Amino acid sequence: MSKTHDYDVIVIGGGPSGSTFARIAAQGGMDVLVIDKRKEIGYPVRCGEGLGAREVVKQGLELPRQVYSTEIKGAKVVAPNGKSIVWKDEETKGWVLERKMFDKWLAELAIAKGAEVHVYTRAIDFVKKDGKINGVIISHGGREPYEVTAPLIVSAEGMESLMARKAGFKTVHQPYDVDTCYQYEMKPYDHENLIELYFGNAIAPRGYVWIFPKADRKANVGIGIGGTIFNGEKKGGMKGSDPKILLDDFIKKEKQLKDASTLLDFGGVISVGAPIDEFAKDNMLIVGTAAKQVDPIHGGGIAIAMESAVLAANAALKAHETKNYSKDVLMEYDKIWRAGPGKKMAKRLMLRKVMEKVSDDDLNYIFNTITDGDLNQVMKGQFAGPVAKVLAGRPQLLGVLSALISK
Amino acid sequence: MITIDHSGCILCVGCSSVCPANAIEVIGTRMEHFPEKCIDCGACVRICPANVICLYKGVKSAKDLPADAKK
Repeated sequence: MSKTHDYDVIVIGGGPSGSTFARIAAQGGMDVLVIDKRKEIGYPVRCGEGLGAREVVKQGLELPRQVYSTEIKGAKVVAPNGKSIVWKDEETKGWVLERKMFDKWLAELAIAKGAEVHVYTRAIDFVKKDGKINGVIISHGGREPYEVTAPLIVSAEGMESLMARKAGFKTVHQPYDVDTCYQYEMKPYDHENLIELYFGNAIAPRGYVWIFPKADRKANVGIGIGGTIFNGEKKGGMKGSDPKILLDDFIKKEKQLKDASTLLDFGGVISVGAPIDEFAKDNMLIVGTAAKQVDPIHGGGIAIAMESAVLAANAALKAHETKNYSKDVLMEYDKIWRAGPGKKMAKRLMLRKVMEKVSDDDLNYIFNTITDGDLNQVMKGQFAGPVAKVLAGRPQLLGVLSALISK
Repeated sequence: MITIDHSGCILCVGCSSVCPANAIEVIGTRMEHFPEKCIDCGACVRICPANVICLYKGVKSAKDLPADAKK
């Protein structure tokens, strides 16, 4: 056919969802442009860097050595009173990444399949034709903006997602549905290659402290707390969420960490709410963190972004085949997503909302009662067994836990 | 409107993710604020993990900020 557009699809954002979408779409024969407004793919890193193995294996990818720091062999969850459960199985295997290298590698895989990637390139507005999205106006490094056309635009913009908002997607985050985070990369920290998670309302209200193992006696030590937990005083005297105060308190009390050095210091905001209500419009898709496709329990977004990107790319390829980029066609992705990863995410969200009502004393009791096998079931969304176990000894928790066992 | 202390900002984009008015955006290598869009809600101040944002309620333009405004 004669070329009516510069590209078949323009992807805004070169993180894991954007690059995965680009790889699959390019492999399927689409002419793909990825733009990222950052100066460098993968940088700045704003991430705990944990990634479970499952999705990577499913996509037939093999991580090159330089994209991860170390392997994860299991998880250790720690109750407010210090009692811990170690849990090792397929679900807990994975890596702590070198996120910058990982994102670059994913982008390079897309390039190898024929996608074109450009950094320091910001989408300013949409190009419209007959009232429909038909491309984006972009600027490279703040220089003179110009138009690039495509019949399909993909928002893989992450937390900011401003172009998606402009297109009418409801991507603004409510403070209640985010966790505010702070993290240090620290050394020395001798670990057992376990993901360590510390729970408690005093330690991390409506969240947890994590210690993710890294190579050479290093670790990412971070915290996430509820976005409406106002534990600090902000500039100008306003009350607000200040995760750093609580992280520093935690570190002061940990004998391995209190005198350890910091190699990296940053914070961020994680989406822990529900996904947005629809993932497609005419000539546009949204994927990954931009669509709030993030695990509400652990705040991980990489695996689900990659999984969702494949589904989105499959729908895009269908649209490309028929040259019909209408919402009706593209919503196929939305439907498949909600029947698959969406179901799991909904259960995790329910669990998050129950967890935030549990007191430290009850948490101690729960951790004392359940086993690693129970934890495994809980994370799979099979709540009935573990909940029954807890209720047998503490029936007064029925009010709080009943949400997990009804229907 | 708000002020952002760029020397302490970590470019996490948390502020723009919760801004209901699309008044904050990363442009180039820093967060830019558009006072004319700001609705003085303070959501960005409350969630900023780096604590570099300060709200000046009712101020509509940088030239009207108090002399000792925290930037």
